[in-house]
Amino acid sequence: MTVGTAPIASAPIRPARSRTGLAAGRLLRLEFKRNAMIWLIPVAVGLFWFDCYRQSVAEPAMWNLRTMNMQGQALLDFVPSVVGAAAWMGSREARRGLTDLTGITARPRWFRQLAVWAATTGWALAAYAGCMAVLYGMTAHQAHWGGPLLWPATVAAVGLPALAAVGFAIGTAWPSRFTAPLAVVVVFFALGLSSQFARGSSSYFQVSPGLSGANDVGPDPSIATFYHYLPDLPIAQVMFLVGLTVAVLAAIGIPAGSGGQWLRRSAAILTACGLAAAGTAVYLTGTARLDVHGMIAIPALHDAASNRPIRYTPVCARTAIPVCLNPAYAAYLADVRTALAPALSELAGLPGAPASISQAATIFHQEQANQVLINGGNLRIVKGRGGRQSMALVLPDQLPGEPSSPVYTNDDFIVQIYELSPPLIDRVISGTRRRRLGVAALTGPDAEQAVIIGLVTAARTATLTRIIRQANMIQVAPDVPSSLAIISAGRPPGGQLPQVRLPAGVQAAAGRFAALPAATRHAWLVGHLSALRAGRITLAQLP
Amino acid sequence: MNVEITDLTRRFGRAVAVAGVSLQAGPGVFGLLGPNGAGKTTLLRTMATVITPTSGTVRLLDRDPAQYGPRREIRRRLGYLPQNLGYYPNFTVAEFVEYFALLKEVPSARVPRAVAAAIERVELGDRARSKLKSLSGGMLRRAGIAQAIVNEPQLLLLDEPTAGLDPEQRVSFRSLLRDLGTSATVVVSTHLVEDVGAACTEVMLMADGKLVFAGTPAELTAKGTDHGVGDAPLERGYSAALAEARS
Repeated sequence: MTVGTAPIASAPIRPARSRTGLAAGRLLRLEFKRNAMIWLIPVAVGLFWFDCYRQSVAEPAMWNLRTMNMQGQALLDFVPSVVGAAAWMGSREARRGLTDLTGITARPRWFRQLAVWAATTGWALAAYAGCMAVLYGMTAHQAHWGGPLLWPATVAAVGLPALAAVGFAIGTAWPSRFTAPLAVVVVFFALGLSSQFARGSSSYFQVSPGLSGANDVGPDPSIATFYHYLPDLPIAQVMFLVGLTVAVLAAIGIPAGSGGQWLRRSAAILTACGLAAAGTAVYLTGTARLDVHGMIAIPALHDAASNRPIRYTPVCARTAIPVCLNPAYAAYLADVRTALAPALSELAGLPGAPASISQAATIFHQEQANQVLINGGNLRIVKGRGGRQSMALVLPDQLPGEPSSPVYTNDDFIVQIYELSPPLIDRVISGTRRRRLGVAALTGPDAEQAVIIGLVTAARTATLTRIIRQANMIQVAPDVPSSLAIISAGRPPGGQLPQVRLPAGVQAAAGRFAALPAATRHAWLVGHLSALRAGRITLAQLP
Repeated sequence: MNVEITDLTRRFGRAVAVAGVSLQAGPGVFGLLGPNGAGKTTLLRTMATVITPTSGTVRLLDRDPAQYGPRREIRRRLGYLPQNLGYYPNFTVAEFVEYFALLKEVPSARVPRAVAAAIERVELGDRARSKLKSLSGGMLRRAGIAQAIVNEPQLLLLDEPTAGLDPEQRVSFRSLLRDLGTSATVVVSTHLVEDVGAACTEVMLMADGKLVFAGTPAELTAKGTDHGVGDAPLERGYSAALAEARS
């Protein structure tokens, strides 16, 4: 049946082209105003404070420790709110029964979906920027030296749009009121576990934004202190996250109904480009290696200029032999002085004593699987200016205040540094030419052994004795620190320390030598060190 | 012609919702009557480009909605109020209407004025800043009508637009329909025959997916003379036409 009507003049079609930019701005304003993320910002900020902020500021006030610790933590803290809000907003049309009404509007579906995602992401980034401002402001206030590492913050910032895109896509694909919490759980565990799968420095899983460096090393005080923070891994992670974001958002535009053929083809091309970028990033992380400074280097992304050491003016202690540290460690200079000053006073001016001791970077070496050899807490010989002998001090890779169980205190730190005194004394007195200390042996003549033990005893001031007792330092014999025991017996298998029994004569002579006034002891050593090393002095000849 | 439908059939699985409907319509107000399940909503959704026909041809505003470009042009000039209006509860009336104005590609510079005008036309000016979740059912319906007319559509499709409106608002709404019908094609699907009698220039009656009557309200009323059941003349015409179709 046909319905006839009166003849109607064809209505003129008015030009309806609007300026897309202005319309997009208005649409974004609406979406910003009515976005679920606004209500979840307190959740994100609360989780950030409880988890990331408290952990980060509990770290020593060093930029590298705090910012590297922040990257993965912040992302995990933002997952519930960002993914939840994005999934909720993605499923909004279907949940609210608006698919018919919005589906017949002139603007492509992709356009309004991107507006929703952009608004969700915008709020998430604003909240993240606020959190970062507080954390970085606090660190800037407390840190002695250096500046913020921008790459970890950048990776986390780029991670938020990716999280929002994934959440939004899940919400769009499975619109239901249960989608948002399920998406949060899935993404949270996916992100949390992705970094756990990383094995070794060539693992593809290092592309996970949860990692700010080598998985086996983690944030370390030495990293990015002596050498520039390598952007290789962050670049790969940013590439992966941008690729993932583009691929996921573009994939939303592929189904029929998202827009015209041109738009859907563009979406398909963008999806392919995004996947290619993400895939390339994953491949590149597979070619990575751990460099000696504890950072991940990716050959294809590596800039040789990044290998140059960072220039700095050291902070020095006024000890008999100057001890200088990187200014980032300025807070630990007093502890180092407490631990080493007595021994350095005994050795200053003796033949073979170093002219100065300067802090050097920790050396990292990737072993099998997840094992990394970290060369921290030692002294080694380096040639200083004009051929004068200098020593490089590598501080322990753990600093007081870093989260650990049991708690690592300043006293523990002092004891660990003090343990470097016996090998140093041993080296100067015995005159060995080994470059690395800690493996010399008390194998010389009895008089030499007595002098070494006497100096070790003398270098233990009342303060150090108190600290050592409080720290429960392992001792194998009265007044014989464990490092000396290791020297005398070599490092035994299994880590068990051997019992050292010193000959009675040696012990008595050592006690007598230690009891001398410091000036007398020093004057005697200056005059008799060569003879002592040559074995021409007996125990009885010791003062 | 704003609407040219030829032999339109729409199936959902084995069920035939619309069976071989043909119609042409220019500017004016068209009432679409029929019992539950007659196919009114399916016909309206097809005309609104929500769903595509299983067979037959549809031309709207002299364009083929099967192609993306023309369909987009049609949608710019289309207003649609579905039977079950979904809405975002936290949007205000003004935001809801503005949202659809933007999606319908109303030129940006004209959006604020168009939104204000649409809201005024449905007499919600004093509630423009109220959130939708705070509105009554009738007010929500008016907000739905406002979004449908914000782009000054040339083809306006309204599915049960007066459901929930009080008598005073219905009278006002009929006036609005007549006004809109002077320049656009307005198709109103309704159960309320008095709305049709008061506002429509043409009436179409559907039963079992087919168009069983088309004519003026006066012609439908005439069918009820001495036949049919109902309190009002148009109701009697409606029941008589239905009975005739079924027999």
